[in-house]
Amino acid sequence: MLTADLARSRTYDGTISPLFIDADDQQYRETATELIQIFEEHLGQSKGGLEETIDQLTIADTDYKIVQGLAKLLKDECEFKTVAPVDPQAIRQQLFEKANDSYPIARQPTLGEDTQKLEVYSAVADQFGISLEDCYRGMYADLEENKQLVRFGHRTSDEYDEADDGTTTTRLTGDSEESYAEDTITVDWLLTRYNLALAQAVLYDATEMRIRVWDSFATVFSYVKLFGLMHRIYPIDANGNRVSSTDVADGYEAILDGAASLFSKSRKYGIRMSNFLPALPLCDRWEMEADILDDDGGATSQTLSFELDHTDELSSHYSAQSDFDSDVERTLAQKWERANTDWQLVREDDVLDLGAEVMLPDFAIEHPDGRRVVFEIIGFWTPEYLNGKLAKIRNADRDNLIVAVSERLDCSSEDFDGLDDRVLWFKSGIHVYDVIELAKEYAVKFSPR
Amino acid sequence: MRLSFDDGTLLVEDAPESVPYAEWDDRVDEYRAQAHHYRDIRKWVSGSDGQASLEQPMGTVAELEDEARAYSKFHLTPSVAIEPRDYQQEALSAWQDNNRQGSVILPTGSGKTFLAVQAIADAGVSTLVVVPTIDLMNQWHATLTNAFGNQLPDGIGVLGGGSHNVTNITVTTYDSAYRYINEYGDRFGLLVVDEVHHLPAPTYQQIPEMTIAPYRLGLTATYERADGKHEELAELLGTVVYREGVDELAGEYLSEYETLHLSVELTDEERKQYTEEYQIYRDYVDSHDFDLWKESGYQEFLKRTSYDPQGRRALIAKQRAEKIARTAEKKLDTLDNLLKRHHDDRTIIFTANNEFAYEISQEFVVPCITHQTQTEERTEILERFRTGKYSMLATSQVLDEGIDVPSANVGIILSGSASKRQYAQRLGRILRPTDDRQPARLYEIITEDTMETYVSERRRQGVSANADS
Repeated sequence: MLTADLARSRTYDGTISPLFIDADDQQYRETATELIQIFEEHLGQSKGGLEETIDQLTIADTDYKIVQGLAKLLKDECEFKTVAPVDPQAIRQQLFEKANDSYPIARQPTLGEDTQKLEVYSAVADQFGISLEDCYRGMYADLEENKQLVRFGHRTSDEYDEADDGTTTTRLTGDSEESYAEDTITVDWLLTRYNLALAQAVLYDATEMRIRVWDSFATVFSYVKLFGLMHRIYPIDANGNRVSSTDVADGYEAILDGAASLFSKSRKYGIRMSNFLPALPLCDRWEMEADILDDDGGATSQTLSFELDHTDELSSHYSAQSDFDSDVERTLAQKWERANTDWQLVREDDVLDLGAEVMLPDFAIEHPDGRRVVFEIIGFWTPEYLNGKLAKIRNADRDNLIVAVSERLDCSSEDFDGLDDRVLWFKSGIHVYDVIELAKEYAVKFSPR
Repeated sequence: MRLSFDDGTLLVEDAPESVPYAEWDDRVDEYRAQAHHYRDIRKWVSGSDGQASLEQPMGTVAELEDEARAYSKFHLTPSVAIEPRDYQQEALSAWQDNNRQGSVILPTGSGKTFLAVQAIADAGVSTLVVVPTIDLMNQWHATLTNAFGNQLPDGIGVLGGGSHNVTNITVTTYDSAYRYINEYGDRFGLLVVDEVHHLPAPTYQQIPEMTIAPYRLGLTATYERADGKHEELAELLGTVVYREGVDELAGEYLSEYETLHLSVELTDEERKQYTEEYQIYRDYVDSHDFDLWKESGYQEFLKRTSYDPQGRRALIAKQRAEKIARTAEKKLDTLDNLLKRHHDDRTIIFTANNEFAYEISQEFVVPCITHQTQTEERTEILERFRTGKYSMLATSQVLDEGIDVPSANVGIILSGSASKRQYAQRLGRILRPTDDRQPARLYEIITEDTMETYVSERRRQGVSANADS
């Protein structure tokens, strides 16, 4: 992620947009190439030296924010460690104690007192059984700028012994030759990631985010939950207009904010929205609109509008949810394909807003004539999971919800009091026609789509 | 009715419509209130608070289930042998009389931390202390460890500067508090905010808002803000309960010292580089008519450096020239002489940047404190300096704004910023004579004929202007 000072955006007429860079622009490709090379060359060297080299690139370059921003993203892929034979703090404590009895420690060699400094360092080096140089360099080896770059992406410094944790990493001598991993950091990776990071940085000051998605619901809402955002969810049609029920929805609109947003426009949740953003490019079709609080919130503060959608060609490094939660679901889907029926099985098509949570029933079962049920499978899980699931099902309060429950679960029809007619008990696998029977009974008819 | 702490707010479930301070949250279909109304809502339920219960009839709250409160009560006795000074005792009483809420205004150096220690013992509840900088956080940590450390099984917690350890008494920075308050706002019954005049900002003011702490204490030497926003503090922490002006204390606790200015020259090589870089900067500035004597002129220059490559180069040139002057080779020679002369004294060496502080630390084998020094090691070094185990200390600009540093009788400034307030405060509080015959002494080593000469001028003007007022 970029730090706020590396954000680049433009405000115009009440809107704000990140200053994306063209990933095909030769100039940026060269900068990215150069930076990646610098990082590779600094494996096994100090962080201070690496930063100094990067700074050299920006002496008369007004693109320094881009250079530093790209460098920041590369640094996020790095590991820096203290490399010293003895705990640096122990070394310096011994040095200062020893020195305090030896003052004045003079600097000018003409005065005959110059051996004091050497004596202090040698005495402490001997005490730890390390070389004089290790003592001198090790004294502050734990400073941020003296830490060594031991890993960059999948490349590790050969000098760095992975098995050794902590501060007393053994230093091996000899020339280092870095080992290559398959998944190296590339120019395209960096520039793509940079544009996403620019968009994320705009969101640091966001007070509310509104999204519209038309696919990948389970993925999107699992990230909403993961990053602790609160939601209001509305089913929408293909054009983004709100519709009455999830049964007739093509997609979902969600308004995202946090607990305290109820009282005032708070940018406290901006960082969460920023973390959430990479979930959206996992959808084929999505739109995002956020309110961004400009400046320090003084009298001149105003709210800017920030819009993005799938045409902005952002790409995500988050992982999408796999197609099926369990083998039971996958097997059912496979059987359904082979079955001879007009009823269609649609994966996670409904997002039910339960207040603090959402529920995404595993499937919807739809008939071309407009009849429709939603279908939830309860397989092999813990009692807590089962209780949570039951509470959700009751809370959802849907007339056209049916449930398949494994007989191996330690529960009975009493647990489904009031719902027990809609339960299909199964042993190892679910039979397609049993489900269709139950679906016919509870389906509600909507106008065909 | 049930109260619970939810992400920095209070969720008020099964509440009657008459519940005060709460708003209907349609996202979860329950009432929700700001966390800092915890005390008010409890009062309303118990009906003991005249105001709230008169305006808002008690409604139908038969029973209150309080799941919000997660802080503990305990009995603490500060292990500090000092008697509170009169004004500290008065301030404490005034705060107690105001239901343990409100701000106390005391001049820097008058023992605000000590007052807070008394307040924590008095309130006897888990306490969060919020301070502006990591350095102050370290300092508070040291003081609170002294006072209560051995009475708390988990010691004093630190949240910020790379540490994430929350205990019954925890010190944190404004930035870390803002980031984490929604997680920990239920864990403390007393909220202490140091340098409280920094609090009225849209971000930081969420710290008190997202805390249920019924007891609150604000501390500062300079309560009033130019923008008038200090008025918001009354709502967030309580009103000003006590105020002691600078006049009452001046002279009494701040010591006097004599200052000697020493100049060094740049070496030929340094001078050559300095002139080159300075000229690049000067040429650029002169060709653009910035009025650099004014803040706005300098801002204009900075703005230009963001889009004009030559301006960017000029800015770098200025920084390089400053660095050459700041770290001039011959300063170390002069320092060398001073350290020889004063090796039996207690000496603190000030530098403006970490790099130079570490260079001196390695060169002269002197303990060193910068913003990078971890809390524990820093507390240890200061303690060793206090007890005389260490007689010298090098430090970059970390001893600012109200930090307790053991006293020294020799100060050496190798470079510093021009801020007059910073300068007067940090020296007045550190330098005091070790015996009556010899006054405390401050050396300022500046590089001749560079930008530093001008900075030093301004600094001295700042101090004398301060003394006159």
